[in-house]
Amino acid sequence: MEVLKEKVEEEEAAEREAEAEQAARRAAEKEREDSILSQEELLDLEQKLSEIEVHIPEIPVAFTKSTIDTSTLPESYRTNTPKEELLIQVADNFSRQYAHLCPDREPLFLHPLNECNIPKFVSTTVRPTLMPYPELYNWDSCAEFVSDFLTMVPLPSAIQLPEYLFSPTSVLKYQKGNCFDFSVLLCAMLIGAGYDAYCVSGYASQEMCLMDLTREMCPLLKKPKKVVEEKEKVIPKKYAIKPARDLRSKFELAQQAKKENELKAAEEKKQKEEKEKILEANKPPPDPMHGLRIHAWVLILSGKREVPESFFIDPFTARSYKTQDEHFLGIESIWNHKNYWVNMQDCWNGCKDLTFDLGDPLRWEFLLFGTEKPYLSLMEEEEEEDLAEDDDIENLDKEDENKNFDMPCSWVEPIYISPKDFETRSPQGKKVIQYKQAKLEKWTPYLNSNGLVCRLTIYEDVDCLKPVEVREWYKNREDTLEMRQMDKISNWTTEYFKPGHFLALRVHTYKTMIPETERTMEFYHQARVDGLVKRTETPRSMTEYYEGRADFLTYRHIDYGPRSKKFSLSTAETNPRPMLKITERFNRNPEKMADDDVAERIFVVSDERIQLRYHCRDDYITVSTREFLKRNEVDNKGNKIIMTPEMCISYEVEPREHTKKLLFQYEMMMDLKNEERLSKHQVWESEMEERQAQEEHMRQVEADLDYLAPFLVQLPPGEKLTRWQALRLKDECLNDFKQRLIDKANLIQSRFEKETQELQKKQQWYQENQVTMTIEDEDAYLTYCSQAMFRIRILEQRLNRHKELAPHKYLALEEKLYRDPRLIEYLKVFV
Amino acid sequence: MIRLYDTIEPNVIDEELLKLAVEEQGPQEAAGQVAKQEGINFKDVKSLQLDFQNILRIDNLWQFVSLRKLQLDNNIIEKIDGLESLVNLVWLDLSFNNIETIEGLDTLVNLEDLSLFSNRIAKMDAMDSLVKLQVFSIGNNMIDNLLNVIYLRRFTYLRSLNLAGNPICDDEEYKLFVTAYLPDLVYLDFRLIDAHTRELGDAKYQYSIYELKHRENQIQAKLEEEQATIAELEKHKAAYVEYLNGPFLFDSLYSEDVEAAKLAYLPGVPELLETYKTKFVEICQNIFDYGLVQQEKRKAEVAIFYECLEEALQENRKQGLKEVEDFDKIYTAYLNTIRNSNDIQFVDTKMSECAEEISRLFDRLMTLEMQLVEQLEETINNFERNIIDMVGVFVENVQGFPTMAQCRDLENHHHEKLLEISINTLEKIVKSEFDEDLPDDVRALFSDKDTVVNAVGASHDIHLLKIDNREDDLITNVTSWCTATVDKVHNDELDRNRKRVKEINQYVDHLQTDLDNMDFGDLLD
Repeated sequence: MEVLKEKVEEEEAAEREAEAEQAARRAAEKEREDSILSQEELLDLEQKLSEIEVHIPEIPVAFTKSTIDTSTLPESYRTNTPKEELLIQVADNFSRQYAHLCPDREPLFLHPLNECNIPKFVSTTVRPTLMPYPELYNWDSCAEFVSDFLTMVPLPSAIQLPEYLFSPTSVLKYQKGNCFDFSVLLCAMLIGAGYDAYCVSGYASQEMCLMDLTREMCPLLKKPKKVVEEKEKVIPKKYAIKPARDLRSKFELAQQAKKENELKAAEEKKQKEEKEKILEANKPPPDPMHGLRIHAWVLILSGKREVPESFFIDPFTARSYKTQDEHFLGIESIWNHKNYWVNMQDCWNGCKDLTFDLGDPLRWEFLLFGTEKPYLSLMEEEEEEDLAEDDDIENLDKEDENKNFDMPCSWVEPIYISPKDFETRSPQGKKVIQYKQAKLEKWTPYLNSNGLVCRLTIYEDVDCLKPVEVREWYKNREDTLEMRQMDKISNWTTEYFKPGHFLALRVHTYKTMIPETERTMEFYHQARVDGLVKRTETPRSMTEYYEGRADFLTYRHIDYGPRSKKFSLSTAETNPRPMLKITERFNRNPEKMADDDVAERIFVVSDERIQLRYHCRDDYITVSTREFLKRNEVDNKGNKIIMTPEMCISYEVEPREHTKKLLFQYEMMMDLKNEERLSKHQVWESEMEERQAQEEHMRQVEADLDYLAPFLVQLPPGEKLTRWQALRLKDECLNDFKQRLIDKANLIQSRFEKETQELQKKQQWYQENQVTMTIEDEDAYLTYCSQAMFRIRILEQRLNRHKELAPHKYLALEEKLYRDPRLIEYLKVFV
Repeated sequence: MIRLYDTIEPNVIDEELLKLAVEEQGPQEAAGQVAKQEGINFKDVKSLQLDFQNILRIDNLWQFVSLRKLQLDNNIIEKIDGLESLVNLVWLDLSFNNIETIEGLDTLVNLEDLSLFSNRIAKMDAMDSLVKLQVFSIGNNMIDNLLNVIYLRRFTYLRSLNLAGNPICDDEEYKLFVTAYLPDLVYLDFRLIDAHTRELGDAKYQYSIYELKHRENQIQAKLEEEQATIAELEKHKAAYVEYLNGPFLFDSLYSEDVEAAKLAYLPGVPELLETYKTKFVEICQNIFDYGLVQQEKRKAEVAIFYECLEEALQENRKQGLKEVEDFDKIYTAYLNTIRNSNDIQFVDTKMSECAEEISRLFDRLMTLEMQLVEQLEETINNFERNIIDMVGVFVENVQGFPTMAQCRDLENHHHEKLLEISINTLEKIVKSEFDEDLPDDVRALFSDKDTVVNAVGASHDIHLLKIDNREDDLITNVTSWCTATVDKVHNDELDRNRKRVKEINQYVDHLQTDLDNMDFGDLLD
């Protein structure tokens, strides 16, 4: 859309520039002169455009049975097979006995109605399916997909089992579901992938049931645990020298240490108290329905797929929890596609004491006998007890005449997720999660034209009003930008790039993109010819760090002076900042002697001075230095002085003979002058590169122009929009765009006419003078004709194409406006 | 030797010629003026060109020690000579001369480019030391044996070779032969050797080259083996127990002993000798092992001492560097203020403050140094004590009962036995009961008792002497090592101290003069 609009603008600008005046005049004239045909066409366009109305799909707030279209569902959804009927009878029977034996327990979740109002046994709703996507082979990615793909709908009643349990087919179709829908879908996928997974019906904490993560730290903000490095004890060596004698008073030292300790202790105590206070303040208010809230989740037992330990998965958040986690307050029953088990263990302590030995009939009462038991690790004593209570089970079983009654096949169609849905993941490709003092937004790759896939906003306060920091993750960008971090307080922006940026940029920290302001750029130095690692800039200086260069340069610092003022319009390129000083540092070159190996080189440009500092020899503490003065080119007699001893002041650690020679010094000075020129050139290159980077950045930014900006400017800044304003804004924007489209059509039309008229004139002229014409003139006429025809045809094509595309463009803008984050809340309510 | 211009007097390389050449070929323009003003030292000259000078003999070049490039082409030189001191020479051009044999190049180990084009050389040799040779030109000479090319195989860096114009080039196989035998060569007669020629050559001389290589490898292996043995022996020598890990000492006991050889003919003596030998060798082996162990211990001791010493020095250096660095900051600040101020009064006070600062730096650095000297002295004394103790223990143990003394005991015991046997034999011979055949000179021994006893005694004396000598050797060597090590440590420390003190003084002097100069300059302004 933006690209299209940009094109429109470009074309228009070009055209307008050429004949802005003419077009205006002609447009006025044309209204009178225009043939009926073109008028009609324009009217047609106008009409067409005004006729356009955007249909916004309705968003049903609740996900209920009535919203589901059951007509397309297959037969198995609408009827029960005899076997299923039998199963439901068995289940009813089981339920009755259960109610009799355990009168104080809640009823079981056995056969809720499906979307076609048919009771279906829960186990048959689980249809294990192996997904064709390799990404969905592991439990974590599977759970993440389910949590992303579906939108959570709370249970109709927080403390009652739902009446309905829809098939995964409908759930996937409408991308909505409650905790049971989530669990059944996830369970089916996990069993399909080979996990020993079960749906669990039970009780959980409020946050878990409502998918409320506002008390949780965002996982992206969690810091990795620091590995404490164990310090190796240094054993004093045999001949280690004894430290110099300490002549301070030990008593005074002890007193001081004591005082410091006291201060420290006081401070620690204070901090501790503060921490406790904060913790206290952040505690959630007690939940009146604690322990009664119904929730469904997934249990994965150890054994299959190399799962070492049983654990829970919360399908809403895709997080795994230990089975002892305090969020889970109790389990009523669990089921998979083969069987149904009722928990007979006491849940007074949440799920902490539960064992998941499903083969133990004392703890887990099964519904169907004969299906394979996952565990048979009965101990001897338990077996005896088992016999004692065997009656109950027998009672249950006696009714169940068919002892080897198998679970009937699932009535649900295999789970199918189209590749497009799989790629898009969340409904409309966007998902928002609210964490404690943080908001996480996720988008499908390629949904945003700037490659944005994830945005994390961190707030200062609990109410999420003052953003502190925004982090944005990008994917598939041309400039390989991976992450952008914006500090809203200090206004620093940090960008992280993957390898592949055209300048091998790695990290870029800046306040604004304006050249010659404060910034830090880090690079992938292996990818750069000059081995640049880092460049730091301030308005008056530039510092560069290098690594792995053949000339051992590691550091270069340039101090700039203020720009000289010129009368002419000077840009940064024509009037560079004057360099005052260039400081360069070098690593040790092992091939040279320390006294010949320059460690630091300072070109004081303003003073015409060059300072050299050499590397330190291994067993020395002072370093050789040398200073060249380039002044005094002429002595008092007017003779040119080439070199005098005063022009080079040097200090040498170990005086050597040849360095005292004037010739040596002179040659060195000449070399240094050359080097200075080279360094200046390199600095200039760096500046150019900087500019290039900024241009590139501008180009990237330009790509996402703000179409609302000109209209937003008209409104008083800083105030919140009213609904009326938002509507007007939208209308204005659309009207403007409509006008633009019409203008453009007019423009093309007028040009078309002009060309046609000219051609007609020419033709007329030709027919009149045909007899007296030379061959050259005729040729010229013919070429003119073919060119004019070509132009006319192109104009015609453009007009047609414009007519065709204009409505689409209009529609696209309208939809975009509806989706615009600044307007969405007002427009949504309205529609 | 007769040339067309033979009538011209041969030139001699003398001071004048050299000076002229150096000046002409020295720096030009502005730099030349500076150079002229100052004069050029021969020993700084990097390159020298002495062509078309009609020089007969290379001479008087010994001053040019840093010479890298020397051109002596187009002269009438007959003998390569007088180049011994030019060890830094990389490029030597002796083309168009009258040289007949290659010689006098042994010291030029850095030579990379050698041109002997157009001379009268018949054989390539005497260049073994030119290991870095890359470009070698010996065209237009009189080399007539193709096999002489094999000599060039030893130059692993040789890439370009010019042989054109030699009699061997007339050989049809010349090109193939050279490419095959010098596989690393890239250019022959200034032309790139193409892959085709190389293939042909390889195919043709495959077998002979294989043989050659095999031979070369064998020689190489042998050389390595020898080196390994020498290294092993060096190690033993360092432990002062060389030749004690076998029957060497025992054999040396008998090597000069004529009497013992004669006595060995007596019945029972060979057996006796055999047991004696096993025991003796066993003891020697013990000494050897012990020596090695002790050597390791000493080494470890020295290593740990040097490690600690190094640490202490580094620590001290770090402190010193920090002092200097800190001072540097203050000093620069001072200089800047002085430079920027106009008030003479103010400058004066700043000056004196700065001078004070300098003397303070001197004090601090000297304190650091003195501290270190004290600390090191203690440590070094400690080390000295320990190492002397160690050597003492070693010597004692070698001399003591389980080792050298044991050898002596064994020898005494053997001597008694031998004497007994000898006397018995003598008695038997006297009684004419001895029925075995003995060589005449042996029988002559047994003419009377004194002779026998003397012979046996002499043998015994020789043996004891040898053992004593070996022992003395060991002890003197160890002790001298001990004193040498300790002395070295002391001397090093002394040198270090002097060097550091000198450095500090020099630095402080420099600072002081700098400051004074500044003063002077300011006054001038």
